[in-house]
Amino acid sequence: MITVSVGAVGLLLLWGTAVGLDLVSVPQGLLSRPLVSASVAGWLLGDVGTGLQVGAVLELFALDVLPVGASRYPEYGPAAVGATLLAVGLARAGGVGVGALLGLVIALFAGYTLDWLRHANARDVHRRADDLNDGSGLAIRNLQWAGLRRDVARSAGVTVVALGLALLGRVLLDGQVPLPRALTPVLVGVGVTAALSGAIRNAGRGRRLLWLGIGLAAGLALVPGLLP
Amino acid sequence: MPIRLFRIDDRLIHGQVVLGWARALGIVDIVLVDDGVAASPWEQDLYRMAVPPEMQVEFVNTEQARRKLPEWRDGTMDVLLLTGEIETMVRVLAGVPDPPSVNLGGIHHRAGRTERLPYVYLTDEELAELRRLEASGVRVSAEDVPGAGAVGLKALG
Amino acid sequence: MTGEGRALLRLMVIQGAWSYERMIGVGMGFAAQPLLHDLEAATPERHREATARSSEFFNCHPYLAGLALGASVRAEHDGVAGAQIQRLRTALCSPLGALGDQVFWAGLVPILMSLALAAIALGGGGWVLAAVVVGFNLFRAAVTRWALRTGLESGMQVGRAVSASWLPRAAAKVAVPAGLTAGLAIPLTAAWLLAPGLGGDLLIASASAGVAGVLLRFGGARLTSLRVALLFAVLILLWTRFAP
Repeated sequence: MITVSVGAVGLLLLWGTAVGLDLVSVPQGLLSRPLVSASVAGWLLGDVGTGLQVGAVLELFALDVLPVGASRYPEYGPAAVGATLLAVGLARAGGVGVGALLGLVIALFAGYTLDWLRHANARDVHRRADDLNDGSGLAIRNLQWAGLRRDVARSAGVTVVALGLALLGRVLLDGQVPLPRALTPVLVGVGVTAALSGAIRNAGRGRRLLWLGIGLAAGLALVPGLLP
Repeated sequence: MPIRLFRIDDRLIHGQVVLGWARALGIVDIVLVDDGVAASPWEQDLYRMAVPPEMQVEFVNTEQARRKLPEWRDGTMDVLLLTGEIETMVRVLAGVPDPPSVNLGGIHHRAGRTERLPYVYLTDEELAELRRLEASGVRVSAEDVPGAGAVGLKALG
Repeated sequence: MTGEGRALLRLMVIQGAWSYERMIGVGMGFAAQPLLHDLEAATPERHREATARSSEFFNCHPYLAGLALGASVRAEHDGVAGAQIQRLRTALCSPLGALGDQVFWAGLVPILMSLALAAIALGGGGWVLAAVVVGFNLFRAAVTRWALRTGLESGMQVGRAVSASWLPRAAAKVAVPAGLTAGLAIPLTAAWLLAPGLGGDLLIASASAGVAGVLLRFGGARLTSLRVALLFAVLILLWTRFAP
């Protein structure tokens, strides 16, 4: 097992929290896209390549998410940070798949914490409804800061769980334990379907589907150049 | 049945409606039934902007909607009929033959309403009104975006 | 009117108190405060009413909230009737939500992420990603500033200003590049990820993609891609544990 320093885990905790905050609260600037959050996590761990691979697998799934309105969706940012910590530690064939699997599990769970946050904020707003309807600027400021603090706590909490499970995975799968080799291609395969179904939904029907088809043809034409 | 979806959503035309439902169902005509909007050109201009280029939108009041309902239902165009108020939908569907299903999209907080789902807040009065609608043969369920899973009226309280 | 700079900063955290009850209403109220400050001394009663209105239920795309914020604050300063301002806010939820979702969530964001995936697959490395993130955030900041400015300038006429702006045109055009880039990125990313162990892996991936496609198409609404992936993973773990 490649050892990881306490300092590096601390940096990952900060990064995961920032990434969790980015999704809804601030700054909503793509940091929470799994490709970005995993790559930076890989860079902090000295292995950008693995971060990019884990991030790419999870990004295929994230392309299937349309965050419109209040609908419930998985959260891939902090999950991708934990996934990278695990994959970098395994550093052998199959590691990317095992890391990405952890990422998918955390993403699903993290989606529920967003639901909790929105309910907690709603209860808070409900309690101060009279002040708000009275035009109290103080109530608005209190609620806003409370919401932000809550999201910081939520993001940090999700990241702690993700990093904890990743470290546990590194210990349990240490050394000679063989990894399920089929996991990576299976997740890539399902990810391809996920990204495609997101793209089809975005395109709607008719002529726009044609452009998706043209893109696919171009992508497939370039594939042979990538193969060894 | 070319009216593919009857939806009650107090934000009227927004992302969940156009990207979530209308594109998935291949809708070409969004019918917005609202007496206030039907009488207000500047509001219509705003709602028209929310409609993607491959779709058209019609603004009608409740009376016009009742009159044109058979024509939409028998037509060939895929239609999404949208109201902002529960009461409007009830009046549009009062006594129609072959009652359709109605989708509750977003009905948000207002004084007196309590949370039934994260996106559905209802007063007891409104819930009773929806129950009467269901008793008249219209199936009522809540689902904000396609795939979220429909929640029946019984689960709302 | 003063406080535009502070309002702009607060617009960056517009969703900081997102709740099911008022959605981004509280964030709107928070961002409105620096802009309503002038009213406090001049007309305290109007200031109180305006503050109450500013935090009512509201939702739209976060990057475009400045249009609604600026327009309603302008209207408050111009002394427009409260009920009119409420109607304007309600009606603005619709285009600012739908246009923003089309342009950003279903447009620019997947386009940029697809381009980044394709570039990385073709050997671009992490620098591509850094450029994408920096570029996107600069654009996002510019859009936020434009939105607030336009709202403040046009007040109740904001609808006309939006319809004459770049937004509806972008919404109409963005689907073509979104389809193209997604199509380009998906096979390239898969090939890049599978290249080390090609052959058997390609077969496994194709079979998984196919079965997942069938499940997503016919498996009912609750079977999302994420859940299908977890289901397959469990099957594989069981297989590797108990296979002969």
